[in-house]
Amino acid sequence: MLNDILMALQAVATLENLLIMIAGIWGGVIIGAIPGMTGTMAVTLALPFTFYMDPVPSILMLVALYKGSTYGGSVSAILIKTPGTASAACTALDGYPLAQQGKAGKALNMALYSSVTGDFISNLSLIFLAAPLAILALRVGPPEYFMLMLFALTTVAGVSGNSLLLGLVSAAMGLLLATAGEDIYGSFRFAFTEDMQAGLSVAPVLIGLFALPELIKMIVMRAAPDNETAKLGDQKVSRAEFMRSFKSILRGSSIGVIMGAIPGIGPSAAAFFSYGEAQRSSKNGKNFGKGELEGIAASESANNGACGATMIPLLALGVPGDVITGVMLGAFMIQGLTPGPLLFQTNIHEIYMLFIGMLFSSVLLFGAGKLTMRMFSYVAHIPQTLLTPTVLLLCLFGIYSISSSMFDVTVLLIMGCVGFGMFLLNIPAAPFLIAFILGPMIEDNLRRALAISRGEPGILLSSPITWVFAALIIFVVTLTVRREIHKAKERKGEVA
Amino acid sequence: MKKLITGLTLAATMAAGAAFAADYPEKAVTLVIPYGPGGASDLAGRALSESAKPYLGQPVTVVNKPGAGGMNGARFVTESDADGYTLLLARVGMALTPAVNPQASVDWDAYTFVGALEATPMILAVKSDAPYETVKDLTDAVTESGGRMAYAASGATSIDGFTVQTLLSDAGLDPLTAATLVPYKGGGALATALLGGHVDFLAISAGSLMPHIESGDMKALMVFAPSRMDNLPDVPTASELGYEQAGQVTGWSALYAPKDLPADVVAKWQGVLEQVATDETWLTLAERRGSISTVGSIDMPAYAKAQYELFNGLAKKFGYIPE
Amino acid sequence: MTKSLFRGILITVLFAFVAFVLIPIYVPRPAFIPGFAPPPDMWPRVISIIGMGLGLVAFCLTLLGKGEAEDPAPKSDGAPTKTLILRAFGAAAAFAGFIVILPIVGFAIGAMLLTGVCILLTGERGHVIWAVAISVLGPLALTFFFQKALGTQFPQGVLGPVIGL
Repeated sequence: MLNDILMALQAVATLENLLIMIAGIWGGVIIGAIPGMTGTMAVTLALPFTFYMDPVPSILMLVALYKGSTYGGSVSAILIKTPGTASAACTALDGYPLAQQGKAGKALNMALYSSVTGDFISNLSLIFLAAPLAILALRVGPPEYFMLMLFALTTVAGVSGNSLLLGLVSAAMGLLLATAGEDIYGSFRFAFTEDMQAGLSVAPVLIGLFALPELIKMIVMRAAPDNETAKLGDQKVSRAEFMRSFKSILRGSSIGVIMGAIPGIGPSAAAFFSYGEAQRSSKNGKNFGKGELEGIAASESANNGACGATMIPLLALGVPGDVITGVMLGAFMIQGLTPGPLLFQTNIHEIYMLFIGMLFSSVLLFGAGKLTMRMFSYVAHIPQTLLTPTVLLLCLFGIYSISSSMFDVTVLLIMGCVGFGMFLLNIPAAPFLIAFILGPMIEDNLRRALAISRGEPGILLSSPITWVFAALIIFVVTLTVRREIHKAKERKGEVA
Repeated sequence: MKKLITGLTLAATMAAGAAFAADYPEKAVTLVIPYGPGGASDLAGRALSESAKPYLGQPVTVVNKPGAGGMNGARFVTESDADGYTLLLARVGMALTPAVNPQASVDWDAYTFVGALEATPMILAVKSDAPYETVKDLTDAVTESGGRMAYAASGATSIDGFTVQTLLSDAGLDPLTAATLVPYKGGGALATALLGGHVDFLAISAGSLMPHIESGDMKALMVFAPSRMDNLPDVPTASELGYEQAGQVTGWSALYAPKDLPADVVAKWQGVLEQVATDETWLTLAERRGSISTVGSIDMPAYAKAQYELFNGLAKKFGYIPE
Repeated sequence: MTKSLFRGILITVLFAFVAFVLIPIYVPRPAFIPGFAPPPDMWPRVISIIGMGLGLVAFCLTLLGKGEAEDPAPKSDGAPTKTLILRAFGAAAAFAGFIVILPIVGFAIGAMLLTGVCILLTGERGHVIWAVAISVLGPLALTFFFQKALGTQFPQGVLGPVIGL
């Protein structure tokens, strides 16, 4: 076996492979950092190139793009409050306030360190725990899935800002909007126009809700935010600060790995889950949303922690968990390799090469992140009056090119106005987005579970996994209600 | 990397050589895939895009426009200019969806039919530890279960829903209530549902199931295809087993364009497809996807019409739409 | 009427509209679904009724004076409310204008106009060269990049082919 590994190391450690991975990671980081361009887009575009490449480099390139773009989303989330990818939505909650306090460099570094840690742990889990995690993942059927996602939705309570009530309203709006389009049985809901039959995509809703309101605020209020981002400097994350968040990073990485291993969940839900969890259990929980480094750590370690882990069901079972691993499955098939348990017998050499390459790529992610951070730090010097229209311009082109759709662009602009309206009414945007992404997973699995049980609701509490999450949901809801009552009493005290 | 460079140079020389041949195409051609990336249709489209490029003399850009049972992408193409620069990778859904859903936004014949591409067999599979060895075992168990057995499909009126429903109907059962449909999105999710034991059986496209059949996690009971599959020589087809309606259900891809495509563009593409039919890249990629190239061997307009009528008849018979 | 009162009413009305007007019309029940599987309108209906409830709670809490303290008004440059409203309509009109003129002028020119108008609307008058560069060269560069690198075909409009964009 050692011999095998050494041979694989020799095969994978070529200049060519290194260059491919650097290109993949760095390209991914930049694409992820540009609002309106997504990781899925990057991976899909790179697919045709793999037709002419050897199997291992082509997969490594796709993985590198995926990881890079997942990290890259945090750069724009911190610097301009616009998550480049949905999985960085929670990063913006703490990252942007930090940037406004003149600590953008610190925030960016923290995002990078936690991403790389999450990524590394994810790779190790893929290498050593693929088989048991895959078996666990297969046990997650519709009822377990439903409970798990319902629990993830409780994160909404943590990202609601001052008013839980308005956070819940925002979440209800997100859940409702997510039902538009074709449902799993094939009937159309809220299909006012033919375009609506396909429903709304995540990218235009995300960008519209987060990026455009900043522009409209600039147009209407014309008050430049207290922006000190210019002082990016070299604000290092001190050892003490890193250690303080270390628990959240480890927890976030584990959440990322487990959620990534379950087909169909992906980095966004993992990041929301981890953020909510960290906020509840951390000593610094109260500062979350006001510029807490630990919040960034929780969110970023989880989304990158999920990246490598999404390869677990792909490699161990041969099933893709999301669109990106779906594209990777295509790349494998084109190369004549069939992912699945057989691959470990027939192509163990390629598997080792892939694993070694992925470990390399964690290091490369660190380098690419550092470089990109410097490049993008100049963004902070651009006056808001020019920056926000430029972001709009990038979003217009990026969103259009995802699926050549003017409807998506229209959705983008309308969601921008909706987002501004919500800002005026003090309704927070993050719960909307979280609910929009989790909503279909919750509803679809509820309907599947009830179809399997022929309408018997008992199926929702039919296995140990569902009991655990049901208990957690009850615990969190009780905790939140008690905190709200406490808050109300405090307010009364102030008045009196 | 070397392969990459050779491929690119090859494409470049070919492109230069073909440039004077005709006015069309003067720029890149967009091929719309009406389903998401990574699936069987996406791979077929990307394979076509790569194989056709040298013969066409221009790149073929692939765009995914998923949604509404394929109608979203189809509508985009039918509403585009009929100049040959926007084409559609049509799937069985282009004939099926308008046949079963009155709300479908594009009719089955709203296109110029350029040509057939491939047949994609569907496989009826169960988990390898299931006690069913033949289709008869399975249908008997379904009959006994009184509707409790579940199968996964992309939706009630999707192609992989019809595979099971026609089989049930052929076996003398009620296609809608004899077994319970559990809807999932995408081949990967469908296969996972069976692997995890959340459903009892399914009949979906071969590409998503072959890896699991080869690894021994699933058993193939029957294929929905005109003839047996090369990789599964011992698995009978639906027609062989005497299932009349199920025997007519299969998956396919074709190349469509907006209506009234100029004759010279059609001729150009039919020439390209003729060359693609014998192209090694195309054939290898088709084999790896588990599909059979049908370029040039099917009269597409007639076939599309027959498919539409088949599914329209089934939808009426099963009660999805009024007679 | 205070803002939080208005907010409560707006939320209630919005969700009520969805529950009682949109769902009956736009969420049709399919010809066939198994009797025990929840129909397509179950989930949206539940959500919109919960949303309505939340809106009513917000409304009642404000009436009872138990709502949260009025949030401070968003910081602005001190212009009168009328001007602020006018600016908001300006932004919305610019967005709508982009969608309307797109079939005529095409994507690139449309994006130029929209970006330019937005820069003007933000009140930027200083960095003229930068403003022009972003709104004119930006769309050109992005069109070129997306067309070459990704093969995206942007809508050309009626005007596009005439001037070669």
